[in-house]
Amino acid sequence: MLVIIMMMGLLTLYGMFTDPIEQKSRITLRENAVVKLIDRQGNEHDRLARTQIAGYRVTLDGKATTYSAQEIERYDSNAGTLIEVKEVNRFFNKSNLVLIAKDASFFAIIAVGMTGVIILAGIDLSVGSIYGLCAIVGAMALQSLPADTGWFIAVPVALLVCMVVGTLCGLANGAMSVGLGVHPFVITLGMMAVLRGLTVVIPQELFATQSISGFPTSFTTGFFKAEFYGVYPVPVIIMILTAIVGWFVLAKTIFGRRIFAIGGNETAAKYTGIPVGKVKVLVYTITGALCGLSACAYLGYYGAAETNAGNAYELQVIAATVIGGASLMGGRGTVIGAVLGAIIIQLINNTLIIFEVDTSYNQIVMGAAIIVAVVIDQTKQRIQARRA
Amino acid sequence: MTDANTPILIANNISKRFGHTQALEDVSVSFLPGEVHALMGENGAGKSTLGKVIAGLHAQNTGTIVLDGRELIPGSLDDAFHAGIRIVHQELAQCPNLSVAENLSLHDMPKKRFTVDFAEMERRAAKLVHQLDPEIDVSKPLGYLSPGHRQICQIAASLDQDESGKTMAKVIVFDEPTSSLSISEASILMNITRELAAMGLTIIYVSHRMSEIFTCCDRVSVLRDGKFVATSVVSDIDEPTLVEQMLGRRLTTPDSKHAASPIAEAIEETLTAEGPTHDSSAIDMSRVILRVVNLNSPGKLRNINFDLHPGEILGVSGLVGAGRSELMDAIFGLDRLATGEIIVDGEPVPPKHPQRAIDAGIGYVPEDRRNQGLFFNLGIDENILAPIMARLAKSMGIRSLDKELEAVESRVGKFQIKTASLRETTPGELSGGNQQKLLIARWMMKSTRVLLLDEPTRGIDIGTKTEIYKLINQAASKGDAILLVSSEMPELLALSDRILVMGEGQIKGELVGDEMTQTNILTLATSEEQHTNAGSI
Repeated sequence: MLVIIMMMGLLTLYGMFTDPIEQKSRITLRENAVVKLIDRQGNEHDRLARTQIAGYRVTLDGKATTYSAQEIERYDSNAGTLIEVKEVNRFFNKSNLVLIAKDASFFAIIAVGMTGVIILAGIDLSVGSIYGLCAIVGAMALQSLPADTGWFIAVPVALLVCMVVGTLCGLANGAMSVGLGVHPFVITLGMMAVLRGLTVVIPQELFATQSISGFPTSFTTGFFKAEFYGVYPVPVIIMILTAIVGWFVLAKTIFGRRIFAIGGNETAAKYTGIPVGKVKVLVYTITGALCGLSACAYLGYYGAAETNAGNAYELQVIAATVIGGASLMGGRGTVIGAVLGAIIIQLINNTLIIFEVDTSYNQIVMGAAIIVAVVIDQTKQRIQARRA
Repeated sequence: MTDANTPILIANNISKRFGHTQALEDVSVSFLPGEVHALMGENGAGKSTLGKVIAGLHAQNTGTIVLDGRELIPGSLDDAFHAGIRIVHQELAQCPNLSVAENLSLHDMPKKRFTVDFAEMERRAAKLVHQLDPEIDVSKPLGYLSPGHRQICQIAASLDQDESGKTMAKVIVFDEPTSSLSISEASILMNITRELAAMGLTIIYVSHRMSEIFTCCDRVSVLRDGKFVATSVVSDIDEPTLVEQMLGRRLTTPDSKHAASPIAEAIEETLTAEGPTHDSSAIDMSRVILRVVNLNSPGKLRNINFDLHPGEILGVSGLVGAGRSELMDAIFGLDRLATGEIIVDGEPVPPKHPQRAIDAGIGYVPEDRRNQGLFFNLGIDENILAPIMARLAKSMGIRSLDKELEAVESRVGKFQIKTASLRETTPGELSGGNQQKLLIARWMMKSTRVLLLDEPTRGIDIGTKTEIYKLINQAASKGDAILLVSSEMPELLALSDRILVMGEGQIKGELVGDEMTQTNILTLATSEEQHTNAGSI
């Protein structure tokens, strides 16, 4: 948390001392929209140039929106457009922040499930592939719907399809590693390859394509990419809800505490009658289902599924949980930490963009950041242990 | 060779603190060549810490360790090692996946060109191990051996020799060497200890088993609360005096029925003076709480049959490897291959599901509290409530924090578990005695009818032991039935109403009343043929 605030602070400062960027947004007015521009003296204007606008009040169809100085560049009642211009801090502005949160959301949702897996002292390498497969299968279902399907049909159908696929994949992971007694690293490594293969093969065989698109708009801009106040917050909201539920389950339910108990000492868990196998299978299944949820949000936001969707996501997801303080030895980890970890990863990406560093350097910086974050966390733990 | 009365090793004014705990305070002890010198004290008295400071595992805060006139570098295991100090750990610190031979030569693998010379390695290991026990196969993975044999291997490792075949060790620290051993193994170990001393080695023997001190030690130094109390020659001191030195008070009860050991005395004292007494005549022999019928498990158990009555404490004795813990595991449903019937109060318990066993009223405190008992990542509250949390929960499996707190507080209070906080403290911060009390507290619920206790007092101090005895007796007097496995003979004899003796996975015999003696148990445990009738010796 502290790291995030510090990073955000530094980036904001950097943004303040460098040239602000201009953000324009064109508001297209309806044909007979009533726009009034009223200056300080109460005079109405129907045409403005940028230099004149400080202190104007704007009403659009009777709804007053007060823009502060320099926000409206041009208004022309004849052209029917209103163009807003804002000078904003390079980093600290609404759309950039939401963008970071949105990019983090897709894998933060999965990281909530992964936290449970890591606390169990397990691992799931197949999450990226499950995500990809869910996206492709979900896309096929959406494509088959008529273009004018309402969101109340399209959204539940897509959610159901994606999450059923994810749940089955997760169940397979859990059942195989518990039932066959094979370490989940091996099982999920195999599943990672198998599912990715399916993800590539299915659209190739059926449609001879790498990407599936053409969804009902009620599903995309009508729901998952719905606009509120100039930003697209739906994936972020889904992530926050998932995190709250995840936190509740881990901290407040018997199931959650059993996960911690098994991760802390599996033998002792058996000796206290905890159904170790069932809990493990359930955790992997839930992680799979969350991959489906995340894939569904991805479909809605981008309006298409690519066969390489979620490539290397397993690494980002595991990195997020570990940066968030989860121990690969098991027994320790938090959902909040994992979500913050995902945000840190996106912040690092965003930093590189703001500093105008070539995106090819991303991986190098990211890898180093993961190592540094984990070393700092462990040192902190060790110091605390020594003090106790 | 130095004069036998000149100390070979001197610990001068050693102080050591861990965080807020003063583990050792200005302790000075000197050790003579060729003596077995016991360090005694309750748990937390600092005896293990002193042993570890001497071996260089811990760096003392002040004070010096002088070996043969040379001051050792504090906290340097390497320096201590080269000077000739070896330590045999309390917790077996070895690699169970490697062979005995590999474990013995981890620091110095013999090489043949570019590869490891396994033949040479095994020859060397065999030479060391076989002077202690010729039965041990050094090519086997260490994990396959019994705890007793593992301990012997570890001692063998400290007898490493230089090229001329001379043992390099001068001082060996034995840290609770017999805590995981059975009676016969312990006596073998004590013979070994004497032999090593006869070779001129100084043995520092950290233990709180009183009988061992009198069997194999020359002198004894007592620590209490990190401070040095006294050093005495063993032949000049008696047990009550030693116990008094350890506890700072004298146990008063004159003579006990079963054995005149301080442990038995402590038990008697508890039974007569303090809590409610447990009386063998109060057992309701007409009813059976737990009936075990034809319990078998391939390679582990053969034809186990017995009944357990309300209020009864049934002791289970036997050598290590006799199948005692395996029996407990099978009753609790942890043995997936076991066949036979477990009947609680007339109702058969579905097999292979510990949760079903718990529901039927069986509680189990396993032998190894670190590995089988405690969750070191969770607070005291969740450690205690692990088996019943689901029962306390509201609907949908949501925890009921109020009910949990109430349940934890009552247990912590009743068991006098000393903990800083219920939620924040983890078991790692508790003393061994409190950890053990926590594990027993886990099963103190209304529904528990049968309590399986596997070595409930291993590695804990006399003070806590008496508390645990009291708790066991309390449980029995309120009508619970207890199956007690213990390698501490006096403890088993004093607590049990009846004793089953096991060997090779079978019940070799049953002892009641006056038949319950150390000799009878040992005779049965080592006997070849099976004794089926009670007291058929």
